[in-house]
Amino acid sequence: MKLSPFVRLTIVLLMLFSLSLVPALAQDCEGEVIELEFMNWWGAAREALMDTLIEHFQAENPCIRVINQVQPWDNRAELLATAAASSNPPGIIMSTRPETYQFAISGLITPIDAFVEAHGTDLSVFYDGEIGLQYWNGELYGLPMPTAGGLTSLYIYNKDMLRDAGFDPEDPPETWQEMEEMSAVMTIADPMGVDAMGAEIIGDDWSFVAWLYTNNGKYASDDGRTLLFNSPEGVETLEWMVNFTNNINGGVENVTDFFQDTSFSQGDHPWYEDKLAFLRINTSFYGHMNVNDPEEYSDTSRWGTMLRPYNGDNPDATHAGTTGYNFSGAWAYTIPAVHSPEKQEAAFKFAEFIGVHPLGGCAFLFAQSRPSPVKACNENPAYYEVNPTWSVVLEGLATDVPVSITPVQGQLAEILSNAIEEALFGVKSAEDALNDAHADMQALLDEFWADFDAGNM
Amino acid sequence: MQASIKAQPSQSDKTWKLRMQEWWFRNRSLVGFAFILPWFASFIIFDGMPFIYNLYLSFTDYQIGTVGTPPWIGLENYVEIFTEDKLFGKSMYNTVYYLGFSVPLRLIFAFLIALLLNMRVRGMELYRTLFYVPSVVPLVAATVIFAGLLNTRYGLLNQLFVLLGITPVRWLSSPDAIKPSLILLSLWGFGGQMIIFLAGLQGIPDDLYEAAAIDGGTGWHRLVYITVPLMTPTIFFNMLIALIGGFQIFEQVFILLNTDGGPLQAGLVYMLHVYNKAFRDFEFGYSAALSVILFLIIFVLTIVLVYTSNRWVFYGDAQDDEP
Repeated sequence: MKLSPFVRLTIVLLMLFSLSLVPALAQDCEGEVIELEFMNWWGAAREALMDTLIEHFQAENPCIRVINQVQPWDNRAELLATAAASSNPPGIIMSTRPETYQFAISGLITPIDAFVEAHGTDLSVFYDGEIGLQYWNGELYGLPMPTAGGLTSLYIYNKDMLRDAGFDPEDPPETWQEMEEMSAVMTIADPMGVDAMGAEIIGDDWSFVAWLYTNNGKYASDDGRTLLFNSPEGVETLEWMVNFTNNINGGVENVTDFFQDTSFSQGDHPWYEDKLAFLRINTSFYGHMNVNDPEEYSDTSRWGTMLRPYNGDNPDATHAGTTGYNFSGAWAYTIPAVHSPEKQEAAFKFAEFIGVHPLGGCAFLFAQSRPSPVKACNENPAYYEVNPTWSVVLEGLATDVPVSITPVQGQLAEILSNAIEEALFGVKSAEDALNDAHADMQALLDEFWADFDAGNM
Repeated sequence: MQASIKAQPSQSDKTWKLRMQEWWFRNRSLVGFAFILPWFASFIIFDGMPFIYNLYLSFTDYQIGTVGTPPWIGLENYVEIFTEDKLFGKSMYNTVYYLGFSVPLRLIFAFLIALLLNMRVRGMELYRTLFYVPSVVPLVAATVIFAGLLNTRYGLLNQLFVLLGITPVRWLSSPDAIKPSLILLSLWGFGGQMIIFLAGLQGIPDDLYEAAAIDGGTGWHRLVYITVPLMTPTIFFNMLIALIGGFQIFEQVFILLNTDGGPLQAGLVYMLHVYNKAFRDFEFGYSAALSVILFLIIFVLTIVLVYTSNRWVFYGDAQDDEP
């Protein structure tokens, strides 16, 4: 009997469909299936990777169905807060450290100490500096992934640009002064601003805080009650940022325009056009570079990783980065308090899988050539193959310093960010901008601690 | 034969029918009410009740995570707004600055285009459509297009400026250029006002223009002494709507400048401040108080404008109708 092409195609499709059902049938759940909405910001580019992680998890936990809800990056904080505060929040939420603290004091998320104890989760697998950031008021609220470290301590640099400018491509700048000298040569002005840039050193408040630590400064006291950023080191740091931006990059507007409407993750960033010599990165950039320009990524004669330069004029200063400060620090997976114990239990299982399982965060981060908050994961020798600058990444992680913050960090950061902008635009001197911001921020912080100490939250 | 005889209505049936007709006649306005009921119901549900709830929230310390009844704090939010909130004054200034330029410019622009489109030339329907088309483009899409046009390095406007030897403008990166950029963007949606102006222009009787022509009036005279005075009710209406809408400018700023309002918060308009307080700082009670203040400002301004309108708005000479 000869079958028509249509019938043959239908049979093939049916066979494929039935094959796809096999794993599902093999992992059949005998009890009730718990659906776990996983609200996260891993982005479309990493959605497939996350789906793989989820598949592995579901293979081990057939009674939990994880729904991967990748969220848009725009208005992330607003989306997250409204979802967390709603009467029907997602089953598990990816939040930053300030958000975790804020939700914790608002009672929106549940501490996970009891789950950790019940499951016998070994927290010592994490770096102390990573798991330590997830505690508020002595209670643990989430397990970390990715690292809080390596977000501000590293720069990547363009060896071709250094070579063309007459510098040794294997000898990147160690200090502020060296980076200044090199940038001055590589920054090229044009009628629209700058056509090529040595280094962009400004950003929001966290950029200032990162430079502050490379000048032996400190953002706040260890107990988080006193702000210290307007120290002489802080003023010197901001003055240096302002002078660098004005003298070398031609002003803050030039910098804004140079990067306007571009994104490293989208591939339209000046870096990919050999227009930027030194780019401050977080460790996610390796994965993005590998996706957007695999040829360049694999050719380490064209780029390298270096540590964030320090103030060579300050004998106490050295390479440094920060962890756990504002947005750039400490993601975790937190569990809304309103859910049933069964759903919270399922959420913890998933958080634990993401956090410590070799097929969870470990594999997920390895696939992006970026480090894990779990010590053992980073000891995988294959990292040196997938990330040609892995030794510098580990060096960067070692220089990171944890920063003390509180649940009102979001509001404090906003004030500091505005103050830095005022200094960059010349509205105020660096010293006045920092002192004014300090006064406002400390008042806000004192108010918070007064309420906290009085047991009002 | 009996079957073919129609049944005659009894006296009581007649009375009942007359009574119904009489009731219906007396209450015929119910039809009107029935027609406005859907709008009225939605107004109560979607505007009135939220407004009252918002008013209540403005006297509370309602924050994210507040469970149950939010704590009542009286006028504390309002006191804080007027005594401590630095961004209240800044955002109000930015909004008034925007209104001060965008409303008149948009009115003038829409009026001039409406005048052109009121001329009798071939293909006018096409021109009218072309000028109205931008108004049907969603605001978000238009703003995204403008973001591209206003890009300092690659935007069409600056490329054009460079070709003409004009210094490029840092539309969205310079604090001085942010508000003009927003005003420029506001001109995009002039089509709605233009259509209203056009309808007003077509309502002006031709005989007035003919009489003016016979008396030797020039085009300018006709515009100043006939068109503009007779259009003042339409101008007033458009102005009022533009002012109310202008105070609530939000989406385009949000898309172009994000929540911080651009460099030095030069584009931080009032509604953005309201939004930030609610969804960034999660102080919903405070944010509610800010929006109540905005309502009061718009309300008072509208009352003042309506009361002063009889000094310049021409509604026809009422004395002509008197015997």
